[in-house]
Amino acid sequence: MKYIPTIGIECHVQLCTKTKLFSEVDNDARGKEPNSCVSPVDYALPGMLPRLNGEAIKYAIRAGRAMNCEINASSRFDRKHYFYPDSPKGYQITQFYHPIIGEGYVELPSGTRVRIEHAHLEGDAGKLTHFKDYSLVDLNRVDTPLIEIVSMPDIHSAKDVHDYCKELWRLMCHAGVTNGDLYNGNMRFDVNVSVAEEGSEKLGTRAEIKNLNSFRSAERAAEFEIKRQTKLLEAGEKVKQETRGWDDATGKTSPQRSKEEAKDYRYMPEPDIPPINLTKEFIDTESAKLPLMPMDYRNLFHDIIKEDVLEVLLDYPQLMNKLGEIALSSHLGHTQGRSAELMVLDGTTSAISLTSNLFTSVLLAEEKSVEYLNDLPSAKDLNELAEMNEKKELSSTATKEVFLHLFDPQMKGRGTKQIAKELGLIQENDLGALEKIVDIVLAKPETQKAQIDFKAGEEKVIGFLVGQVMKESHGKANPSSVQEILRKKLK
Amino acid sequence: MKVANKKVTAERLVRDALEKAKHFEDYHIFTFINEEGALKKAREIDQKIARGEKVGRLAGVPYALKDNFLSTEGETTASAHILQGFNSPVTATSVAKLEAEGAIMIGRTNLDAFAHGSSTENSYFGPTLNSHDKQRVAGGSSGGSAVAVALDIVEFATGTDTGGSVRQPASFNGIYGLKPTYGTISRYGVVAMASSTDCIGFFTKTPEDMDLLMSVASGQDSKDMTTLPDYYNDSVYKKGPAKVGIIKDFDNDSVHPEIRKALKNKVELLKSKGHEIIELEMPALKYGLAAYYILVPAELCSNLSRHDGIRYGFRSEKSKDLDALYENTRNEGFMPENKRRIMIGNFVLSSGFYDAYFLKAAKARTLIVQEYARAFSKVDYILTPVSPNPAFKLGEKVDDPVAMYLEDVMSVSLNLAGVPGLAIPAGETKEGLSLGLQLVGPRRSDKALIEFSKELI
Amino acid sequence: MDIKREDIIHLAELSNFSLPEKEIKSLQTDLQGIIRYISQLDELKVDDVEPTYQVFEMENVWREDEILPQEADREALLALTKEEKDNQIKVPKVL
Repeated sequence: MKYIPTIGIECHVQLCTKTKLFSEVDNDARGKEPNSCVSPVDYALPGMLPRLNGEAIKYAIRAGRAMNCEINASSRFDRKHYFYPDSPKGYQITQFYHPIIGEGYVELPSGTRVRIEHAHLEGDAGKLTHFKDYSLVDLNRVDTPLIEIVSMPDIHSAKDVHDYCKELWRLMCHAGVTNGDLYNGNMRFDVNVSVAEEGSEKLGTRAEIKNLNSFRSAERAAEFEIKRQTKLLEAGEKVKQETRGWDDATGKTSPQRSKEEAKDYRYMPEPDIPPINLTKEFIDTESAKLPLMPMDYRNLFHDIIKEDVLEVLLDYPQLMNKLGEIALSSHLGHTQGRSAELMVLDGTTSAISLTSNLFTSVLLAEEKSVEYLNDLPSAKDLNELAEMNEKKELSSTATKEVFLHLFDPQMKGRGTKQIAKELGLIQENDLGALEKIVDIVLAKPETQKAQIDFKAGEEKVIGFLVGQVMKESHGKANPSSVQEILRKKLK
Repeated sequence: MKVANKKVTAERLVRDALEKAKHFEDYHIFTFINEEGALKKAREIDQKIARGEKVGRLAGVPYALKDNFLSTEGETTASAHILQGFNSPVTATSVAKLEAEGAIMIGRTNLDAFAHGSSTENSYFGPTLNSHDKQRVAGGSSGGSAVAVALDIVEFATGTDTGGSVRQPASFNGIYGLKPTYGTISRYGVVAMASSTDCIGFFTKTPEDMDLLMSVASGQDSKDMTTLPDYYNDSVYKKGPAKVGIIKDFDNDSVHPEIRKALKNKVELLKSKGHEIIELEMPALKYGLAAYYILVPAELCSNLSRHDGIRYGFRSEKSKDLDALYENTRNEGFMPENKRRIMIGNFVLSSGFYDAYFLKAAKARTLIVQEYARAFSKVDYILTPVSPNPAFKLGEKVDDPVAMYLEDVMSVSLNLAGVPGLAIPAGETKEGLSLGLQLVGPRRSDKALIEFSKELI
Repeated sequence: MDIKREDIIHLAELSNFSLPEKEIKSLQTDLQGIIRYISQLDELKVDDVEPTYQVFEMENVWREDEILPQEADREALLALTKEEKDNQIKVPKVL
């Protein structure tokens, strides 16, 4: 008997707005002291009222469009009640009844489509650190804006779990709505796994694995659950509906001790926040701010950049952005099914393939690459670099050298040509000039023996002679032309 | 109202108020007396006056602050044990506006804990006594504030009105009490009861004083997303004959005869001044109280969730683990009436009951809103009693929640509809208990209500 | 509907009260009375009526995304808690 897994995923994305969802304090608490990003509103003093951050609404619209979702003109906030020190108000402000983001879908690189059921805005919770006989509460993260993305149970393999999580991460990063810093929990995944006999009408009982913060652990957790549940069913046992935790070290999920069962959140419309009713114009303006998405780039570059290289580059929105600039001469900040009519400009193909290679083989190899990402050379400089490389004015080593100097604070801005000159890396292609140098070398006594040997058919000494000419030319000569001239002269 | 000037110093006004407050100590009006702070501010104002500098419109005017308004002067306790020791670092917008005009808070006044009640008997500090009869309740929840004004200790006092908590104690003590249009005065920094019905209001001795306070305190506040753009100071009142509605359904035997008489007298007075009286039928209002005691407990149980002993206020010491900390702190920290309402709120919101209670009440609320809209398409104002009875005896209803709730039957529907209501004095009973009526108007008619109330003097 | 002892205990859990026995009894009586009263809405036919949650005619009220100084800082806020440690709020262990 074959068992088929069915998997749905809930993903929490922290939005990178400047301030929190309901107060004007710094929203990025990374590396800041505990409780240093907390307002009286977040601390939930009596009489404090939420002050909604309009930017979060706009970010939500962009995030929704990135997932091909409907944007609901009317949405409103609700209160979800539970007592825990990470929730100062005693309730979470969320969108239970009327979420802002409606149905849509995410298309994986494999082509699999995962439908989005809806996504809603809500405030994050604080952080507890547990010690032997007490716990400490840090409220920095309280009411950081989140969108919770709820997928349909369209996933049927652990690999697709990985790919879905990763594609979501890319979509959100390209949309520019999150810092995408997984290490700091900017994105967290809850994976709902159930297993049922092949062909059976209804789904099996599901277990939810909460708070996975990497694609890999989401994949491994799903893998483990599928095996665990399949074993149970094969043994004729039942799967318990429960919340389970994942341990990366042991690679196992285990039941989470919690009062989850019989939890009654007593949702209630949030009376302190007026409803949101967006006009079509407002939604369209925000949607238009969505830059090119991974799928657009795949359509754009599939026959220019090798797939594996492209998939690496897609993890870096800034790099894709730059390639987009080169390909489309100017960066397009618009959206909606336009990927179809997008086309790479003639003559930019070689620039794109060279630059994409430099990005992966040179830039990403640098350990300072992260800083570089936010301050990339202009498309013009990169185009010029590709041109010089093509015209053989720069050897491949020289090209890499110049490329790196385009990031050099002292040199950048001077333009590729200028930098190449200053570094003295432009190859000598003028045959007349080269012949003069060759004659000088051939006149030198230390090359006489080599010349005789070569004429005697000693092929390999040509290398030595070329080397001498390169030395004489301080490396500026184009080796292939040098060899040509030598052969002519030593006939 | 008496404002400080070259002849009458602010210090004089404040000292008089403080002396009267001491003199009436047995009425149990104040939870905190701001002697030092008040005198310091008074002297500062007097120095300004001496230097000939400009002072505010309320310069040196002593006032009483209901103890559910946050300010940095004295503990803000809402007369609840669970907020004991809470020294607020922030100040309510309304308080800041009053003080910016020179008003001086001489004390915080007693209330039913978290404003849950209609008699001020549900206070952790014990009840406040009625200004006309010490055997009787002050009304509530803003009992302390009402009595402070009625006994002429202060020129005015602040209150909060979620279902009648300003109008009812005003009428129990023979003074003016306004519940403005929802959203007129910022709720920022006022301990929340029910967010969608809470209104900040005032107690005064004259309509003129009420007008002045409204022009100071009203207006939009970026710290309260439910405040309306300022309309009060731009609203114009046109004198002349008006259409005044009276509600047929409210004129029945469940209403105290002397209150029905007081209403008739005022109706005659209005007729004599050339105003037209129109009988209204507002059947939806009879569902007001039931809807109110579903929606308000739901919101207040939510708003009181933050009182858990963790970040501020009282924390039960006998708690080894977190669950015990929550349960003991909340069990010891809330008054019996708080617990009843919190549990009712959790009942109407809990799974299985939400649709039958909360949702249904929210729909009933729609009918009530529509009922008022219909009424105000026919009349300019509505005149009704504030409550079916004058001040009742201390302890008479405190153990019978439903009987206590029924005292709100005529006041709560205004809060559900968000319309303004002004409680006005309407004489006294034979035994000398004060009687009050309320003048009701459409949304944003606050100024007109205050002006028109002069027709009823 | 009838309010049973278990109902009171369930509501006390949702409310986070540790009710002594005598309070359970009195609350059972009180809540029974209150719920009987509010249940009069049963007779109301409102299936086709839209609910009202707020009596505030404005919508789309929001603020700019700018960091602003707050009325109270960390020190002022943490000063309000019973126990503080390393700039954090100290609570008894979670069972």
